[in-house]
Amino acid sequence: MEEFLTACPRNCYSTCSFRVQVENDRILRILPYSGNLATPEGPCIKGLSYIERTHSPDRIIHPLIKTTSGNFKEISRNVALDVIRDKLGTIKETYGSKSILWYRGSGMSGLTNEIGYSFWKAFGGTTITYGNLCWPAGLEAVRLTFGSIKHNVPWDLENAKTIIIWGKNPAETNIQEIAFIIGAKEKGCRIIVIDPLRTTTADKADMLFNTRPGTDGALALAIAKVLIDNNLIDHEFIAKYVKGFDELKQSLHISPAEAEQITGIPSENIIELALIIGENGPVTILPGYGLQRRKNGGQTIRCLLLLSVLTGNIGKSGSGFNYANLQSYIFDDLKEPLSYYPDSEKDMPFRRTISMAKLGADMLNTHNPELKAAWIERGNPILQSPDTNSVKKAFSNLRFTVVVDQFMTDTAAYADLILPAKDIFEQSDIIGSYWSPYIQFKPKVIQSPGEVLPESEIYFLLAKRLNLNVSNELIPEPGNDNIERWLEKRITGYSEVTLNQLKESPVLAPGLQQIAFEDLKFETPSGKIELYSLEAKEKWGISPLADYTGIIHTPEEEKFPFEFITPNTGSRIHSQFGNLKIIGETNPEPAVRISPLDASNRSIITGQKIKVFNKTGELICRAEISNRVPTGLVVLPNGIWFNEGGGVNHLIAGEETDIGYGAAFHDNRVEIERVD
Amino acid sequence: MRKGFIFNHNKCVNCNACSAACILENGWTVHPRNIFTYNSQAEGLIPLINLSLACNHCESAVCMNGCPTSAYSRETVTGAIILDELKCIGCRYCQWNCPYDAPRFDSQNKTVAKCHLCYSELIENRQPACSSACPTGALKFGQLTEPDSDKVFSWFPDKKLNPAIEFTANQNHTPLKIIPENIYEEKDTKPDKEGRNITTDLSLIIFTFLATISVATIISSLIKGVFPEKIFFPLILLIAGFASFFHLGKKLRSWRSVRNLRNSPLSREIAAFIVFALVASVSVIFHIPGLIIASSVIGLILLLLIDSVYIYTDRSKSVILHSGQTFISALLIVSFISGIILPFIFVAFIKLVSSVHSLYVKKLNSTNFGIRFLRIAFLFVPGISLILHNSNTDRPVIFIFLMGELLDRILFYIDFNPLNINTLIDNKLNIERDEKKRC
Repeated sequence: MEEFLTACPRNCYSTCSFRVQVENDRILRILPYSGNLATPEGPCIKGLSYIERTHSPDRIIHPLIKTTSGNFKEISRNVALDVIRDKLGTIKETYGSKSILWYRGSGMSGLTNEIGYSFWKAFGGTTITYGNLCWPAGLEAVRLTFGSIKHNVPWDLENAKTIIIWGKNPAETNIQEIAFIIGAKEKGCRIIVIDPLRTTTADKADMLFNTRPGTDGALALAIAKVLIDNNLIDHEFIAKYVKGFDELKQSLHISPAEAEQITGIPSENIIELALIIGENGPVTILPGYGLQRRKNGGQTIRCLLLLSVLTGNIGKSGSGFNYANLQSYIFDDLKEPLSYYPDSEKDMPFRRTISMAKLGADMLNTHNPELKAAWIERGNPILQSPDTNSVKKAFSNLRFTVVVDQFMTDTAAYADLILPAKDIFEQSDIIGSYWSPYIQFKPKVIQSPGEVLPESEIYFLLAKRLNLNVSNELIPEPGNDNIERWLEKRITGYSEVTLNQLKESPVLAPGLQQIAFEDLKFETPSGKIELYSLEAKEKWGISPLADYTGIIHTPEEEKFPFEFITPNTGSRIHSQFGNLKIIGETNPEPAVRISPLDASNRSIITGQKIKVFNKTGELICRAEISNRVPTGLVVLPNGIWFNEGGGVNHLIAGEETDIGYGAAFHDNRVEIERVD
Repeated sequence: MRKGFIFNHNKCVNCNACSAACILENGWTVHPRNIFTYNSQAEGLIPLINLSLACNHCESAVCMNGCPTSAYSRETVTGAIILDELKCIGCRYCQWNCPYDAPRFDSQNKTVAKCHLCYSELIENRQPACSSACPTGALKFGQLTEPDSDKVFSWFPDKKLNPAIEFTANQNHTPLKIIPENIYEEKDTKPDKEGRNITTDLSLIIFTFLATISVATIISSLIKGVFPEKIFFPLILLIAGFASFFHLGKKLRSWRSVRNLRNSPLSREIAAFIVFALVASVSVIFHIPGLIIASSVIGLILLLLIDSVYIYTDRSKSVILHSGQTFISALLIVSFISGIILPFIFVAFIKLVSSVHSLYVKKLNSTNFGIRFLRIAFLFVPGISLILHNSNTDRPVIFIFLMGELLDRILFYIDFNPLNINTLIDNKLNIERDEKKRC
């Protein structure tokens, strides 16, 4: 038996380090690694489930091709690659290479993902997507304000006196953070949750403010007004480091009484909350990503930012606005969110006209050339992209779709050809984290089963077949030694980080500020924290100041009485992991949750099938009556596969956020009814 | 010093990593570790507490002492209580005995399965899979330092068994403050059913009821000096014995069930039944009067042992002096069949008081009201017949009388409550909910 140190590369805050015990190419055990101070107790249930996932009998380990009858048939790797060469070659010759869509999701992070770029560039360019389904509105809001995106190291949270968890549910989506939150609480810190739902995180809190979905910006503006009116702000900090205070002060017009009308929070409680923030520092705000997946999402985050800035809760221990910490993303030439923008890589021969948020509609509306083929890796757009019906139609229109995946996902089922994808233990890679400050190495520890190849090797073999002129420096030859050499070369120039060091232990990002902005230097145009941002106005056409734009529903939308929320849960990373046996056994059955009052009004009982619908589409799912859901809300986690009653995107219109090219997932209303 | 689980409920968010790690490490088909949540429905105004629990490897291991087959043993190095599934007959008596709901019935293997503390890992100085996997540090394993700590939940089974578990955080009495108040329109989460589900007890009901009748028949025949029917009587014993097999997961291993006579009331009950059945049958078939006396004595002992099986595990004292106890029933039947009025009135009065008391204690709107009412009514039929008409041979009366006793036995199983963590949570939650409503 051998033991290795590795790290989890999923799209998750925690990016846990863990030890893995291996024997005869089998994963035996997953154990914690205490050397990573952010995740000393080890990974969550999903990380533990790799024992099953890597060796799952459901895993696709041979290429599959769709027959004329619509079923999949196993074929050899060589035949599969020949088919791809012929199909893509012909489509490129007939329609041009840009008739092919190269779609990448966030299924597995790592530097080796860049190798795909080299292939498709050599291929002649493709159509790719811009924007991001997850978090860019908030990222852009933070970037506009601070100039860079970082926060204190996770373990500094224990020094806070007040923690405000605003639209985040770390008990399920960032479970290692709970240890620090409780650590702070046991030292006397007050824990406040602001959320439309009673989340499992709220079970750990002192206070829960149940806002109406989408109104958080109004709440923050009212609190900011109370802070200023009651002189609870840090004048010195504002004078030295903040641009736009006077403009902001004049613009603040939402009183607590008005905010009560908008948010549902009584004005006296808004004042109470303001006093806590103003008087009980240091304050750390932990904003989630859900509240920025709205048409007013970027401005909402800018409103929340005011509270940290006005009270001087920036650049100090126990304080901060912990949206994302990109300090470990040192290898990126262009950091998020800038890398998401359509014009970010002008020199690349990609034509970026396809919006992530409006994937289906944009695919259908693409001409000269029309889209004829797609290559999908690390993603599940049929399930996870907004407006499922249009996405399905767009993919059905294609002549040839390749999906690289480990399982028969809802997207893989749409493929003409499926290539089996590597698991996390089957190729070496280097990953950063958007929460912890570590750069980590993820070694190859087992041989892939069957005919599984990592994408880098698929691309190498395909490049050979297509006679593409591309050097081994860009697409390394097969073999993990070559990948490690490629990685070594990729990180030269960052002298503080070497591959050997990374193999020893996780490495703190060079230049790390454990206390973000402790130097009080901000990479904004003015060099100060910008509450007034000209860039916001010029780039996005929004107000240079944070403001609250109310939720405006059309009369058509008003017919659907429920707000529809699609959170993430502890048992999944979006659409990953939910298919595993161990996850099914230890988690509640997927269900759409509704409040007891709404349920009794519609004679719905737990366990019954109900139809959820609106003008975009419909789905049928098992109902669960929950005390955690206030009246007027319908809650169904995203990422549940179609066959389990999931597919929230049937009900979600493809729309972008105000800034950052994100997807406005949470702006949809629905109606429900019993299915008898 | 003793080692055990150390738990901080503040850090437990019910993520189930502990439970999953246990299954992944050991390949169970059941869940030996589970999260018990106080206020699992997240009712407002009541704190919500998660508790991760598997076996606590108690110093006084009632699972082990009660096990009729001696399938449990204590591992010497770690002190872990280990269940040998190859010896388990799936009688599930340990599930009654354990207040922590640790033994789990594996419906695939038809035996019980239980946490073994990953003892082979512990011996090599590693951690159990569950505590090693806890991502928040809520569940740890190590030296217990405060065995008498008062940091314990009001709904945790009392620690007389000396479980190897310790709590490091005080129970939090302040519930979450929700703003705005009353935003959650809560459903009534009170359970609508009282008592246990007795479907799995059906074979036990038949077994114990027929044993009661057999013993009563033998004693009555002694009093009357008439031998019971030669074929019918042994047949009833045969059916009783046969019925008792049905609740076992592993019927072919049932011979093991008398291997713990020293400690297990269940072993003793089974042994007594076998002896009684043999002696009584021989005496009836071959008409040996001396053996009738012997089997009467053995029969009474058997009934006391049957009752002791339930009293042994009855932490809620739910069936002490229950009208459906086999010994009491047998006395009533004997006095009726033998036509001795005074003892009949005495025993019937005890039964009446006990039954009316149950009817009063359990709410009148309960689902079992009908059965309780019938039970009382059926007691009056033989009473009137015997006392007013001095008659005890009317077949319809005997039938109604025995039906009443059968209902009593069924009620015994409904009322029998081997209090464990689940029932304790429910009870405490009911009290707390009522208190909040009154405020």
